[in-house]
Amino acid sequence: MALYDNQHWLLSHIRDSFISTDDTGMCEVVMLGEDLPKQFKTNGYLNCYPGMQDSDDEDLDTLAESYDIPMEMDFGHRQRSNTAQRLEKMDLERKQAAKVKHVKWEPNPGNISSAEQSELFQRKDFRKKEEKTNKRHSLLSEQLEKCPNLPQNAFTDYARFDGNAQVGILARKYRIFMCMLPKEQRAYPQQVVVIATAKVQEFIGLICFKYASEHPDHPLKEDITKYGLYITEDDGEVDWDFPCLDPRETISKFEFTTLGLVEMKPSDRARHNTIIPIEIQNEDDQAVKEKEQEEVAEDLAKMEGHTTAMEAPLYQLYRVYIINKVRAKTEIHLGISGEKIEIDPVLTGKGAGRFWNRQRAVSYHIDNIAWCELIENKGPKTTFTLVYTPHSNTLDAIIGSGGHHSLHQSASFKNHDFEADSATAEEIVRKINHILELRSSTSRKEYLAQRERKAARRKSFHLHR
Amino acid sequence: MTTDNVTGNEQVIFVTGGYDHTIKIWQAHTGVCQRTAQHTESQVNALDITPDKSVIAAAGYQHIRMYDLGSSNPNPVINYEGVSKNVTGLGFQEEGKWMYTGGEDCSARIWDLRSSSFQCQRIFQVSAPVNCVCLHPNQAELIVGDQSGVIHLWDLRSDHNEQLIPEAEASIQDIAIDADGTYMAAVNNKGHCYIWTLTGGVGEEPTRLNPRHKLLAHKRYALRCKFSPDSSLLVTTSADQTARVWKTADFSEVQVLQHEAKRWVWDAAFSADSQYIFTASSDGVARLWNVSTGAVEREYQGHQKAITALAFRDEVLPSR
Repeated sequence: MALYDNQHWLLSHIRDSFISTDDTGMCEVVMLGEDLPKQFKTNGYLNCYPGMQDSDDEDLDTLAESYDIPMEMDFGHRQRSNTAQRLEKMDLERKQAAKVKHVKWEPNPGNISSAEQSELFQRKDFRKKEEKTNKRHSLLSEQLEKCPNLPQNAFTDYARFDGNAQVGILARKYRIFMCMLPKEQRAYPQQVVVIATAKVQEFIGLICFKYASEHPDHPLKEDITKYGLYITEDDGEVDWDFPCLDPRETISKFEFTTLGLVEMKPSDRARHNTIIPIEIQNEDDQAVKEKEQEEVAEDLAKMEGHTTAMEAPLYQLYRVYIINKVRAKTEIHLGISGEKIEIDPVLTGKGAGRFWNRQRAVSYHIDNIAWCELIENKGPKTTFTLVYTPHSNTLDAIIGSGGHHSLHQSASFKNHDFEADSATAEEIVRKINHILELRSSTSRKEYLAQRERKAARRKSFHLHR
Repeated sequence: MTTDNVTGNEQVIFVTGGYDHTIKIWQAHTGVCQRTAQHTESQVNALDITPDKSVIAAAGYQHIRMYDLGSSNPNPVINYEGVSKNVTGLGFQEEGKWMYTGGEDCSARIWDLRSSSFQCQRIFQVSAPVNCVCLHPNQAELIVGDQSGVIHLWDLRSDHNEQLIPEAEASIQDIAIDADGTYMAAVNNKGHCYIWTLTGGVGEEPTRLNPRHKLLAHKRYALRCKFSPDSSLLVTTSADQTARVWKTADFSEVQVLQHEAKRWVWDAAFSADSQYIFTASSDGVARLWNVSTGAVEREYQGHQKAITALAFRDEVLPSR
């Protein structure tokens, strides 16, 4: 590629790659100050496009630098890079550091006189005691005595999730409406800052802690699992259409800034309470188990259905009897696949040559098959019928336009009747119907339409008779 | 939050610091955190409060930072630097003229805090990292304990120094002298506690140490020892998850302070009347114990990680 002949492009590409991929930001700090490729270029050290004259100035300019670092399409919302964040942090730290007085260790700045040293490090006569009363009392003890049974805040365990009291940890601020309070108190939301990694449950604890520490006679329940955080309008009205935030989730997952602390709806409690379902399981263990088994059986049945449907187009050969016009039975091989259905006579020695029950080998394209159903059940034997259109139709259907073709096609359905043991018959019918459902051919649609028309005319439909 | 004890010297100050890079100032009698200060890029190894209760000093990695107690500024106001390693201990001369520190750079230092132009910085170098520093009540002798197990007595006036080794190959973890200057205690990483009685130390008379007692205080690493202000009690804390209180009269065990969380107890402090003990623990909770009952009176929750240092200043009230 021509670009790789361009020393300037290569240099600036390497530089940009370093800057853009180094998350520590060190490369940017080091490299941003001096644009070496540019300097070399202006100094003439670099050969921009060997063999290319300056005639195509415009093109050259666009290619002179390596490609820009691609920007996100949503302008204005480009995520700040780690580097930018780090630089900002460093800047902030620098500003803060400027306010701090720095005292550097200086080993003995200027020799001080021994007189001065002995003055500064004078020995104090510590054994000279002021009159000591026997029983001393401290300010701390007094303060403790003043609030002996301080109403212990039941939620102190959650104090550590307070985002206000943390430095250097991500925190989020929420406006919380305490909906269980009397009306006049809940008009204004509490501002609560929580560390971003706290769970919703822990955040609820923190809200309770905050409130309880400011209102010693609070009405809060000690069991905070009774409370839920709900999405709330800015005026404090809880949006009951939504369930409460999952107590086990991290609070920072939720973007809402206004929330309401409310006693959980029973439905939410049922969803989120992990204790109660366990109890139920103990009591109704048997019922649960039975139900489970039922479900498993159901699932298995469903699965089996899926499997037969999936396996339907696979070729399978059945041995059944075909019943011809004169009600004579001939044993045949019925081969069914997703493509076609074949009927082959089983050539056994005895009776194979008899003319009245001679069966030709035929094959029907699956698109010619219109219908298949069970007809009647005689003892262990079941008869079923297969409705089809004669061969030529496939071609016609493709060539002719569907609309007018169907008009004269109506009468052209024919059928074969078969007899097999009930299980086989059912299996065959199911298999064929699965295939037909998948294909949904013209002849099938035709047949269904015709059947509907006939039903509408309240005529019984006995095609096979 | 509360305005009753924000300014003035007549106040109780309780601060904690630890691995979460913060320093928390508590209302001691309620357990409410009043303020959190930032201690960037380092854990807090040791804390102290100036005698005038205006400033908190925190020892960390390569720095000693000072925080103004009078304002709500979460950032330090003064940063002492130039120490190459961890600063492990610090304290103040009783009038606040100078500060002493010890560090893993094998030295103890005196930092002149007076604003005069005649700065007097002193350094005392030993052969092993310094774990602890303790000022004699005579305000002129610094006791330095190091990792090789040597206790150094550094006479600040004459620069003369003496050494003693209570136990071979056992790192000295902390040293304490009681307010009366009667006893000196040192704990080591074997959990042993050595007690000396002190004589001299006044005027020109040199301080002499007379071995008094050896306590098998803890089964594991001891971390801190402190005498009560009335010199009647000694508390030792340890990695064995307990703090133990001993009677100085006969060095019998008075109380075992153990909590359910069972974590290392890093630091401890007595109230001015020796009735209560604060402890700092790895479970991120500081506790206030009643010495006579052994019960937890208050818990201070808010730190995200282990609390490794605490400082407490109380007031003695005129007797009633």
